[in-house]
Amino acid sequence: MALQGRSSVRNLVGVVLALMAAALVLASCGGGGSSGGSEGGAAEAKTLQSSEAKPTGQVTWCIGKDTSGAFKTAVEKFNSENPGAEAKLLELPESADLQREQQIQRLRAESNECDVLGMDVTWAPEYAASGWLYDVTPSVEKLEGEFIPSTVETTEYEGKNWGIPFNTNAGFLYYRTNEVPKAPTTWEQVYKEAQQKNGLVYQGERYEGLTCVFLELLYSAGGHVLSEDGETVEIDSPLTTETLEFMRGGIEDGAVPKSVTTYEEESSRRAFEAGNATFMRNWPYAYALGKESGIANEFAITKFPGFKGNPGAGVIGGYNLGISAFTDNPKGSLAFAEFLVTEPVQKEMFLKATLPATVTAVYKDPEVKKEIPFTEELLKAVEQAQARPLSPVYQEITEAIYDNTFEVLNGRESPKGATSKMGSEIETALERF
Amino acid sequence: MEARAERLPSHGKRRSVFREERRLGAAMVVPSLAVIALVAAYPICYAIWLSLNEYSVITPGLSRFVGFDNYTQALGSSEFWEAMKTTLLFTAISVSLELVIGLGMAMVMHRAFRGRALLRAVVLVPWAILTVVTAITWRTIFEPELGFVNTVLTKLGLPGGDVVWLGQEGYALAVMIFADVWKTAPFMALLLLAGLQGIPEDLYDAAKVDGATAWQRFRRVTLPLLRPAIAIALIFRTLDALRIFDLPYVLTKGANGTETLSLLAQKELVVNRNTGLGSALAVLTFITVMTVSFLYIRFVGGNIRALTEEEE
Amino acid sequence: MTAERRDTLGQVLLWLAVAAIVVFCLFPFYWLINTSLKTGADLSGANLVPPNPTLDNYSSIFKDEAFTMALRNSAIVAGGVTILSLTIGSFAGYALARLHLPFKFLILAILLSISTFPPIAIAAPIFEIWTEIGLYNTYPGLILPSLAFGLPLTVYILASFFRDIPRELEEAALIDGATRFQAFRKIVVPLGAPGLVTAGLLVFIFAWNEFLFAITLTSTPDRRPVPAAIAFFTGSSQFEIPLGTISAASVVVTIPLIVLVLIFQRRIVAGLTAGAVKG
Repeated sequence: MALQGRSSVRNLVGVVLALMAAALVLASCGGGGSSGGSEGGAAEAKTLQSSEAKPTGQVTWCIGKDTSGAFKTAVEKFNSENPGAEAKLLELPESADLQREQQIQRLRAESNECDVLGMDVTWAPEYAASGWLYDVTPSVEKLEGEFIPSTVETTEYEGKNWGIPFNTNAGFLYYRTNEVPKAPTTWEQVYKEAQQKNGLVYQGERYEGLTCVFLELLYSAGGHVLSEDGETVEIDSPLTTETLEFMRGGIEDGAVPKSVTTYEEESSRRAFEAGNATFMRNWPYAYALGKESGIANEFAITKFPGFKGNPGAGVIGGYNLGISAFTDNPKGSLAFAEFLVTEPVQKEMFLKATLPATVTAVYKDPEVKKEIPFTEELLKAVEQAQARPLSPVYQEITEAIYDNTFEVLNGRESPKGATSKMGSEIETALERF
Repeated sequence: MEARAERLPSHGKRRSVFREERRLGAAMVVPSLAVIALVAAYPICYAIWLSLNEYSVITPGLSRFVGFDNYTQALGSSEFWEAMKTTLLFTAISVSLELVIGLGMAMVMHRAFRGRALLRAVVLVPWAILTVVTAITWRTIFEPELGFVNTVLTKLGLPGGDVVWLGQEGYALAVMIFADVWKTAPFMALLLLAGLQGIPEDLYDAAKVDGATAWQRFRRVTLPLLRPAIAIALIFRTLDALRIFDLPYVLTKGANGTETLSLLAQKELVVNRNTGLGSALAVLTFITVMTVSFLYIRFVGGNIRALTEEEE
Repeated sequence: MTAERRDTLGQVLLWLAVAAIVVFCLFPFYWLINTSLKTGADLSGANLVPPNPTLDNYSSIFKDEAFTMALRNSAIVAGGVTILSLTIGSFAGYALARLHLPFKFLILAILLSISTFPPIAIAAPIFEIWTEIGLYNTYPGLILPSLAFGLPLTVYILASFFRDIPRELEEAALIDGATRFQAFRKIVVPLGAPGLVTAGLLVFIFAWNEFLFAITLTSTPDRRPVPAAIAFFTGSSQFEIPLGTISAASVVVTIPLIVLVLIFQRRIVAGLTAGAVKG
């Protein structure tokens, strides 16, 4: 009883459609979120009070790779000082993007596996809005005087604090002292000298690093991405166009090599160390490595030069510690997080792992000043650094920025076109409710 | 127990035997269909439902019905068409290369009488290696500056020694195609070899007697008789290439012009946490692939029918 | 050129081609082994032979709990998928090959079309569903999706192998009083063993290789299978990408597969070409 060709295909299509319709009905009944109203993850979050009692119970700390062993040391110290508690380190991949993905996977499944989360400074609003964090305003207010103010700003969302500043970062302008006798004071000067000499390298690949580079110029020019309250898009402005024109001009004039669009932190550092650039924009970590390279005595760092007649601006980096809303041990977790920002631990992190402290006092410590020659510059740089846009949809905002900046650098998009594209893409992102 | 004789069944018994077979047949097929329904059919419908909604990032669990808005957004975005272009380009180039190289390898293997078993074993190695491992290996080989390829090119004084392979558009896709061809040309070779082995030698002898050159023999004898094998291989590979995810994810995470449809959908779903838009993209990918797979069913339909036909 | 010279030239070219194929296929794997034996600064070099060969990378990955757990996880998941696939698939394969059943073409068409689904299309819904019913980050949660994709292949291969078993053997058993199912169990399955081995191997390798569900449906090292673990390797090296340890892990994971493939190459080739040649 062989089936005829055409009718069997018709049968197939018919049955498949019927099955799909049935399943669609089932799915819409059973699946999907509730359409009921609730105020918002941030508004409904529980506040965690800081307490003086000794912590107990298990605390799992989920943070990126412990490359220096300093994290493990801190965990061991906590455990020995608090015999009733047991802290444990759970290492996530080295890349921040992968760390975020893995944290989000657990948070969406409401897993209690991670108690303390090592969050990049741009993630707190997103996590808070999704209802994944405890409100830790009391702790932050208690410790506020100890932190560099700009680091606290990155923990804020809807008037509350969602994390405790753990370490911070701000970039520098590196330059070759044998080619440049005096550090330039404006970016315009930097580009001019770079054109005459060996060029400027920075992180120009299509990723978060490029957003930092772009924002450093935009902020200095006086531009903004979002309004103060984060509700309106302000990036669609002439300042943005001028910044993009400036960056593209650098490549056209030869001040910045075309290959900069393939560089990330490591590749730009290697180019600078190999003597292929006069200037480099990079994070502090490259300083120690530079001192061990062939140009050890021929380079120096300075804070970011000004742009368009305004003082220079940096973009703040680093990590905050958040307490997962699904933890079984909120009090113990908070105690652990507060432990990690005590002066001795912060000093260890700074010296051993080159993770700049968020606690101001550490920068005045004579031992630190001796070990790390750029302590003062770093403190100033962090104090003057500004946060990247604080928004639950930061992922899409930064994509809009680095995607379009990348196109401009490659000459595939005009600065004006890119500006309006950035504006509309971020507009769309903000419309996500 | 009463013996159930099948040799001389009466009319009634034949019908009841049929019915029993039908029941047994249904029972034996149901587990497979149940797994498929639970794990494939239901989720795809759920995906369609997800794609018709928008999900809040501010308020967990909140959603609203938006009809086809996500599809409009997807189809209107340049990212989607870029990904479509990348996917189609990748598919066209890598499948063609795999076919040609696979055919070449198959013909060599067919001719080499000694060491054929060794060759077959060697040829299975790329297929046996995990896709993730393949991606990592090629990523290492094409490492900029000090990687194998760049070092060799520089030493030989050839151009390209300073190319940041995976960091540049065009080059990154080329490396991805190369890695995919490496992994699957051997698989194609095996399929085609089986086809080649089915061609009777006499046809070649006859052609030789008629004075046909090697090329003419290839075109007039080999290719036509290989058509079924080529067709199957093409369709398998095309469907796989359209869906590709593992290789670009590990190689470049979709950067620099290697973002395929699957990768774009995954990015929206996981990185941007845009469940509505991501599901719409996933469904669009599904539609693209299924369109091609209906062709597949029509082609291979003959084989399937032969499989399920009763021997009367 | 004389016919003999042409012949020798042809022979030489042939063997050159064979050599080219061997190098083409094996070089990357060789390179992987090469890299796995290097540490430190050697890793940035492009030496064909490790200047200071060492087994450090291997010892460190076996000390890494995440890796050994990943091996165990993959074994359990791939094993589970294979066993279930063969069991359920052989039932369906037999039914389709032998029994009177309506809509056979339809059923097989549905099964085969499932295997052409892009996994991403069902990954997000499965994540949501699994999270709700508690299958997230569990073995069954990983086994089921791979099973859905592995079944069509299994059914197709087994159906074609079962068809080739002479009907007379079953008929004889039926006449002797066996039920259909007994005939299936006692005659068809043992005779179809080569097909089972083939299908089992192909499904095992497929399940072992599965990546998208592995990264989407697990979050902890104690459930994460090997492909996901390797992709997320934090390793114990201080480099940007822990090349040495990743390579060592990759080699360790690949060698068993290669051995399996070499031992069973005939069967595997038979299975892969089942579609192309039969019918």
